[in-house]
Amino acid sequence: MRVFIVPGLVELRIKVDPKREITREGLPYIVMPWMFAPWPEAREKGVVSLDIKGDTLRDLLLELSKIYKQANVDFEPINPKTNDIDFDYEILLNGKRYVVLKKGLDTKLRRGNEIVIKMNWRWDG
Amino acid sequence: MDDEKRLDREERIRYDRQLRIPEIGEEGQKRLKGSNAVIVGVGGLGCSSATYLSAAGVGRIRIVDFDVVKRSDLNRQVLYGEEDIGKRKVIVAQKRLSRINSKIEIVPLFKRIDEKNVFEIIEGADVVVDGLDNLATRLIVNSACVRRRIPFIYGGVSRLRGMVTTIIPKETPCLACIFPNIPEEEGRMGVLGVSPALIGSIQALECIKIIIGGGSSLAGRLLRFNGNDMKFYIHEIRRNEGCKICS
Repeated sequence: MRVFIVPGLVELRIKVDPKREITREGLPYIVMPWMFAPWPEAREKGVVSLDIKGDTLRDLLLELSKIYKQANVDFEPINPKTNDIDFDYEILLNGKRYVVLKKGLDTKLRRGNEIVIKMNWRWDG
Repeated sequence: MDDEKRLDREERIRYDRQLRIPEIGEEGQKRLKGSNAVIVGVGGLGCSSATYLSAAGVGRIRIVDFDVVKRSDLNRQVLYGEEDIGKRKVIVAQKRLSRINSKIEIVPLFKRIDEKNVFEIIEGADVVVDGLDNLATRLIVNSACVRRRIPFIYGGVSRLRGMVTTIIPKETPCLACIFPNIPEEEGRMGVLGVSPALIGSIQALECIKIIIGGGSSLAGRLLRFNGNDMKFYIHEIRRNEGCKICS
């Protein structure tokens, strides 16, 4: 499947096979430039497009982890020990947390779906 | 030379091990002695940073908190003991810290930080160290520090993980660059005592480096620690050009 990635302030926003062209228009400047690390050429345009093998949320997240790893960036939303989402991340599909999805991470992605991968910050003291 | 910044014999003995460090030396120690740090919140993070800033000889430390010691604090807030349950944290912390170093001044402020009193709380600070446990108050302190151009060292923890970044107003991203609005706060996730001990110690080191003029290592950089696999990560972060607080 073809996905378009738009790094937001501190998160990745991903559109699956969108019907319209994806641009950064209206989106704030990115605060975490390392999110572009695997695709330095995309920094100027601010949008990354790539083909992902597989068609589930899990496939997408695993593929992204692999790509980031090759760029020496720690970005591993699925914890390999638990095979579930790591405590450092929050995953939303069309605005809903992945845990409320019937098939969870094995939900099939469809055209127009929007996935948000957020970094969890720490607030406790 | 200002008399009050001169090191006496006792101080030379007390700080001997750090006076030997070239990056600190006598000049750095005098700077520490003449400095003012404010620690907002003396929970897990604040207990750790306050301990090491006191031991290092930061001359004046203001500690701010409105809470009392609870039994559930004792796993991580190591300035307090069982006999302190129900007592004001800032008062107990002041006594403990003064026992660590009676040559410095510890000023306790039993106050809940809000938009009205925050400027008074950070007044005169060379550095403000974050020991808070919620984003809303952090954003209030962040905004005041940006306006007064005072470095603010963010630290946060949960479970076995933590983060630190140093905010140098107008140079690095501030907290509001990253969180323009207050997101829905998540419930307590749990904290193991060593997480704030570690993160608070890194904050104390950043504070000391700023005071002695050595510069911050985490200005514009986010350090993430994961105790599950014992890894540290550092990422560059940038200012939000649309930030309503610092741009």
